Amino acid sequence: MEKLLLLAMNGLIWGLIIALIALGLAIIFGLLDIINLAHGDFFMVGTVLTWATLQSTGSFWLAFIVAPLIGFILGALIHRTVIQPIHNVAALSIVATFGLSLILEEGVRITFGPTPRRILPPIQGTVALFGIDYELYRLFAAVVAIVALVGFFLFLHHTQLGTWMRAVRHDRDTAVAMGIPAQRVYMLTFAIGFALAALGGVVAAPITTVDFRGGVDILPFCFMAVIIGGLGNLPGTAAAAILLSFLEGVIQSVANPTVARISSLVLMSAVLLLRPQGLFKGLTR
Amino acid sequence: MISVPWSIPALINGFWVSVIAEILIWSLFAASVNLLFGYVGLLSFGQALYFGFGMYGVAIGISDFGLSFWPAFGLGVAAAMAMALITGIFAVRLTWHYFAIITLVFSLIFYFLALTNKWLTGGDDGINFTLPPTFSLGGITGSLADHTFQYFFILATVSMCFWLMHRLICSPLGKALLAIRDNDVRASLIGLNVYLLRLVAFVMAGFLAGVAGALFALFGRYASATYMFYHVSGEAVVWAIVGGAGTLFGPIVGTTIFIVVREIVSSHWEHHSLIVGVVAILVVIFAPKGVVGLWNEWLTRLAERIDRASIKSELRTNP
Amino acid sequence: MSEPVLRTEQLTKRFGGLTAVDNLSFRLAGGRLHAIIGPNGAGKTTFFNLISGLLTSDGGRVFFHGREITGLKPHEISRLGIKRTLQIKSVFPRLSVVDNLWITSQAGRRFPHPFRDASRDRASREKVERTLEQIGMSSLAQRQAGTLSYGDVALLEIGMALISEPRLLLLDEPTCGMSPAETERAVEKICELARAIDIVIIEHDMEVVFAIADDITVMTQGAILASGNPEEIAADERVREAYLGGEEEEDYVEEAAHA
Repeated sequence: MEKLLLLAMNGLIWGLIIALIALGLAIIFGLLDIINLAHGDFFMVGTVLTWATLQSTGSFWLAFIVAPLIGFILGALIHRTVIQPIHNVAALSIVATFGLSLILEEGVRITFGPTPRRILPPIQGTVALFGIDYELYRLFAAVVAIVALVGFFLFLHHTQLGTWMRAVRHDRDTAVAMGIPAQRVYMLTFAIGFALAALGGVVAAPITTVDFRGGVDILPFCFMAVIIGGLGNLPGTAAAAILLSFLEGVIQSVANPTVARISSLVLMSAVLLLRPQGLFKGLTR
Repeated sequence: MISVPWSIPALINGFWVSVIAEILIWSLFAASVNLLFGYVGLLSFGQALYFGFGMYGVAIGISDFGLSFWPAFGLGVAAAMAMALITGIFAVRLTWHYFAIITLVFSLIFYFLALTNKWLTGGDDGINFTLPPTFSLGGITGSLADHTFQYFFILATVSMCFWLMHRLICSPLGKALLAIRDNDVRASLIGLNVYLLRLVAFVMAGFLAGVAGALFALFGRYASATYMFYHVSGEAVVWAIVGGAGTLFGPIVGTTIFIVVREIVSSHWEHHSLIVGVVAILVVIFAPKGVVGLWNEWLTRLAERIDRASIKSELRTNP
Repeated sequence: MSEPVLRTEQLTKRFGGLTAVDNLSFRLAGGRLHAIIGPNGAGKTTFFNLISGLLTSDGGRVFFHGREITGLKPHEISRLGIKRTLQIKSVFPRLSVVDNLWITSQAGRRFPHPFRDASRDRASREKVERTLEQIGMSSLAQRQAGTLSYGDVALLEIGMALISEPRLLLLDEPTCGMSPAETERAVEKICELARAIDIVIIEHDMEVVFAIADDITVMTQGAILASGNPEEIAADERVREAYLGGEEEEDYVEEAAHA
């Protein structure tokens, strides 16, 4: 019973973090129509940057600024140099992001080294919760993730850029006719997507390992959240991420973690085939 | 030009012969991606699944069922095709992004299944097995321990598969697939059953990937779940596109480039994946038609220029 | 009273809140060239899409030579003999002109043969050559369809319609985007075709419509406003108002009707 509670809570909190990363993927997939196979590696870069910041400045908290910022800049650069020239030919962009993924993984392996590292949580200690001793940092991580999620949705609905993004997503031609600079919106979207994943990396770094292969597991999960939540349905994506991770945590208490992963994948296939608009249609605005 | 591969073992040393054998096997795999993407317009990111079934069909057939060469080979290929049929029935209902995603997802599901069912598949570590040393086909008996013989067998099999592909492309079915690739709505309006034809192509691609996997197992005497991971599928996509999507020899060219580079680079530097990534991006931006595609384009332009020149000179002599 | 070639009963299609085709009951008598006209957004192309199976209806039925075809898939409807062209001219851009025609002629067969060499089929090749001559594109035979001019693409589409031996041909704005010379050529071909095949044509070019149509149906807002022969339509007040906007257009219609 304790194990179930622990895994369920871990799943829930991990789901909040994944929601953040998955939203980054959702806006890239939703707006630019790109299947970003490098998105897991964006997260991984976030964890690595966190470790690097910690190593060089001794402060974990600084990473909250450094990682997303660098992620943003990298994202903008990548869009300019790689994505834009391809003019969104769907198949080619998949290949490009696959190549990007290889570059990021090997690049990190070269500079950071192949051995996984761990980061100690900046907040130590446990708290008695529902009869178990729960890690304080994880609770903190949950709070950060929730704040970031709320902040993102506020951004989307109350800032000019956010509105532009929604307009271009909804009807690109009309948006352009109304004077919205579509290419710039695309670039900023890609950059924000990277930044979100990197932010997720910062939050997650103390509770997972920092490793050049850290993105490999995250990628399918993000795609699951986006597909099950529904393409273009951002709240749905976030909800799906949280729900899926929570369910996986629950399943893990009685079965092999791989079984949990397989069942999520099967669910995702079912959604793709039967209800491609996602399970949470009602939440769409 | 075609005779070159047949004379190779006589010319160069054993190491490069086995590299070329490897190239042949992997280019068959890349060809399965190319068949779907270049000729039908479907980008599959999960061909490693059928490669894996071909591979494990042989491995499990020999080590668990005690099959001999041909039955094991047949089992591998049949398993791959069956899998392609089953997954294809669902996958082919989708197009574009969703097709790519679902092929990826299907291959991930089976990758995880293979990984966890170590009793059957050996997981990541894989299965090692030994082959019966001789086999016969018609009057020819050969020893599979002989590298040269292995090479010729692989060469013969891969060549036959490519020849089959060539026949397919020139056939009515091939043209129908090209039409579907170009404009699937129009294709259905002229009476083509788009779903069925795509499914047929998918199973054929599964066949090619399965043969490649079976060959791989037979000649490495090894099978491992790592070869079912999506990175393997993704690399094949890169090879196919760099070589030239929609061309017959594109997969061979693309695979050769990458494997040769890998062999050369990895003796000095272990990070050749970086090069793969960079080349993939460069090709996609600057040369999306791939090597063979560009070559064909260059040939066409040359032909046009010759045409125009000869017309001009005709006009001059006949004012 | 013989069975009409094409008949729809209260055919309806809605897109969200918009009713694109509204309880449309339509009859096409055989042996006459029927034109459908109407302002943009009247539902004409949606109507074609419903008949050819590209869209599923929300209500109503479609009958072809008395046989119900409601709900059949596009390739099944095509095999029954209903062929159509699309509003935005669409062929197979990376195939050559010859291959475009060839694949169209083959598509009706049960299943394309996987290994026999396509070029060996003599009878088909001759058919393709004949069709090429008919549409006047023999010199462009080997060109990639994607490199053709818009007018040639439209002509190729008509060629594809020809070679497919249709029992009913639906042409969606066949002369759209054509130069006057190309329009003349196309109209000639269509008239030739109409002698042997039943044709329904959506058109905006009034001169073309009044020149070749035996019957005209006017659609507006998803429903039939008026139907009849060209003189009746030209004289119909409601048609002028709805379609042409009033008195100033009168002369234009008069002219076209008597051209």
